[in-house]
Amino acid sequence: MKRLVIVAALLASSAAWTAEILIDNVTIYDGQRDPYVGDVHLRDGELIALGGDFTVSGAEVIDGRGKSVSAGFFNGYTYMGLVEVSAIEGTRDYSSESELFTASHRAVDAINPDSVAIPYNRALGLSRALVLPVNEKSIFAGQAAVVQMRADKVVLAEAVAQVVHLGQHGKKIAGGSRGNALQMFELALRETADYETNHAAIRRGEYRDLHFSLDDLEALRPVLSGRQQVIISVDRGSDIERVLDLVGKYKLRAILLGAQEAWRVADRLAAMQVPVIFDPINNLPMGYDSLGARLDAAALLESAGVQMMFFGMGFGAAPHNAAMVKQSAANAIAHGLTERGAIAALTTTPANVFGLNAGLSVGQPVDLVLWDGHPLEAMSLPERVFVAGTEFSLQHRASRLAERYYQAIRANHDK
Amino acid sequence: MNKVFARSLLGAALLGLAACNNATTKPETPTAEALSPVAFASTYQAPRHPPFVIRNVNLLVGNGQQMMQVDVAVSNGVITAVGENLNAPGQSIDGSGKWMTPGLIDVHSHMGVYPQPETRNHADGNEMTSPVTAEVWAEHSVWPQDPAFEKARAGGVTTVQILPGSANLFGGRSVTLKNIHSVTVQGMKFPDAPYGLKMACGENPKRVYGSKGQAPSTRMGNVAGFRKAWIDAQEYRDKWREYESNSEAGKEAKAPKRDLKLETLVGVLEGDILIQNHCYRADEMAQMIDIGKEFGYKIQAFHHAVEAYKVAPLLAQEGVCAVMWADWWGFKQEAFDMVRENIALVEYAKGCAVIHSDDPIQIQRLNQEIAKALAAGQAMGIDLDKADAIRWLTLNAAKAIGLDDKIGSVEAGKNADLVLWDRDPFSSFASPEEVWIDGAAVYQKGADNITADFNIGIIKPEENRP
Repeated sequence: MKRLVIVAALLASSAAWTAEILIDNVTIYDGQRDPYVGDVHLRDGELIALGGDFTVSGAEVIDGRGKSVSAGFFNGYTYMGLVEVSAIEGTRDYSSESELFTASHRAVDAINPDSVAIPYNRALGLSRALVLPVNEKSIFAGQAAVVQMRADKVVLAEAVAQVVHLGQHGKKIAGGSRGNALQMFELALRETADYETNHAAIRRGEYRDLHFSLDDLEALRPVLSGRQQVIISVDRGSDIERVLDLVGKYKLRAILLGAQEAWRVADRLAAMQVPVIFDPINNLPMGYDSLGARLDAAALLESAGVQMMFFGMGFGAAPHNAAMVKQSAANAIAHGLTERGAIAALTTTPANVFGLNAGLSVGQPVDLVLWDGHPLEAMSLPERVFVAGTEFSLQHRASRLAERYYQAIRANHDK
Repeated sequence: MNKVFARSLLGAALLGLAACNNATTKPETPTAEALSPVAFASTYQAPRHPPFVIRNVNLLVGNGQQMMQVDVAVSNGVITAVGENLNAPGQSIDGSGKWMTPGLIDVHSHMGVYPQPETRNHADGNEMTSPVTAEVWAEHSVWPQDPAFEKARAGGVTTVQILPGSANLFGGRSVTLKNIHSVTVQGMKFPDAPYGLKMACGENPKRVYGSKGQAPSTRMGNVAGFRKAWIDAQEYRDKWREYESNSEAGKEAKAPKRDLKLETLVGVLEGDILIQNHCYRADEMAQMIDIGKEFGYKIQAFHHAVEAYKVAPLLAQEGVCAVMWADWWGFKQEAFDMVRENIALVEYAKGCAVIHSDDPIQIQRLNQEIAKALAAGQAMGIDLDKADAIRWLTLNAAKAIGLDDKIGSVEAGKNADLVLWDRDPFSSFASPEEVWIDGAAVYQKGADNITADFNIGIIKPEENRP
């Protein structure tokens, strides 16, 4: 605790001071190679060199033996900044019942950068999260954003993908059959194509009635053209097959979310280069759409060559424990996933899929965590955390509460 | 995806409660229940097994001790000896480089009452029709074919307390089960385990009933509801006492009509049934302790005790266990002040700290949950080690359900509920290789383990779901 307080005091001064840091002989988990030992050189929060054996005069030298470095982790399914207390409706902005604003809705417009979940998760090694909305009245939820765990620059990417909920959610909305949900999806794509070719006439009101609003069709144009990705929530293997038919027919850039039975369709997902976002810790048949949930799903997808991102150990997308995605990843390793694959799912794969700096790129500001042990062990904790080139203290509301009561108990402890 | 969120609401918001134990008071008067034959008696019989010895294993005893490279001898369902180079009969199992713990105990589970799949037909954990349903028993909702049981077994969990949900002030009786496969719940019931009674403070009862326009709709309404029920229980107990004393004196006396609800409450007043109290907030825990004093019963444990760290010395002084998660928070206001050091702080204040899952995913890896809680405590500067932390999941948990004389530590004379881990169980990469209950192997990694009927041919006719 003393250590944390000192770091906090140092950081309180300014984020703009010049600093050279050399982390010596640390185990590096870069998501591309198997873990290896080397040095990490940072200057003003920028990665100067990684992996060799360096000497830097005047640098703060950290003995990295027994410790590790990774990029800050990414959670692929959260309501980060969209809810403070889940049961308090006034703090919830992830779920919409609007029929007017569906595909055109943007999660980014509701994000609260001061959410207490942001410093909490940062202190546990999370640096980025995908933020997805949900719409209770439409299969189209709107546009997902990527946030980073710092209040001053919380939005990293505003509208990285459209979000479509099929499966149980879509079936209920679209008319009662999961077939209706697929029809609804395709109807939107056809109307978007109509809108694309008859744009002027539709705008003048000289075209047949369309089911979707002009705002929504406008929002779907980049999906249809392939400029924007589309995240499709679906679990059952056979549903995934149908979705892939549609993805192929319209040449969409799709990402699957949930995807509990993706392992049953692994080869096709790999061939079509469709990434999946899922929680590898789920092994229970929570619903009849996910009877195939299994602990070695990540290992099966890895050997088929499917790109993966993870979420996990929270209540669905609740942001409070988003950092515990690392626990889901660790359990995937315990069931056959490679360490490299697990780290990639938490760092480099999301960066590649969403077109972001991977966190540990030479010449770029770092998203970096120095861990006191293996990055994925439950007992390991971050010692130093950088987000987008700035080092942050590890304090947060909960750590201050704990300290407050620790001191109170301690005062009477030996009496 | 929404399913996952629904699980959170069910699991965290609606459910939840169990208790820690210390009540040892002997009943002073026969209760109505004592007059009737034992209802729904356990039919569990420990299977016969040959004696065996696990050799050279690193042992986390469960009572705060750690022993490196020792032998553990088992015979007739019990641990017969623990020590170096034991001369004991039976097959030797090589434990070199491996770790052993007692069978893990989850004092707060809804397996069977909220089984998989989590569909409405299966949701049998909350009798949300009246704020006082002390008359319902969780065992009457348990579906023994819940596919979650075997997954928990693969995670080393050998004993579970199954609780009703937390919608009600009094949610009903808990039941403690051996985590074995059985077609009937009676076949799983832990023989002679005390019953628990689920109570719930705070947001849940006031929300559930307030939204129906009935009491309670406030926390003061909650407390009024608790007190009124205890007053009824006292009256009922007195009626039976009067009947007993009249009939003992040879006077003509008619037994009062049995009341299932009040029978359970009287069981608490007599010290036979342990209060397992869902209670998040520190100030409400103090209120509940005072209610216990007013009516003369002791609270065994506060469950979901997210704010236990704020009253840790009080809990230690009153001998009430705090049953906690490692890090769940934020799903409602009363879970907003979670600190990851909670469990360590309760331990530091010399209280009875216990971990629980309340969740069929986390129950599969409670070892990782205590690892997180231990790391948080150590980082704060509290002097704790793995041997201390394993107690949160073993002996302290056994105490919370009144079974610390039978399970919870690897000591001679105790039930042979054991887990052999492939490595240090505080590692996220560890998993059980073998699990025993009463000396019988109930799980072996890689073997064709017993599976629930639900899993048979459910995906492909010729296969079981993995």
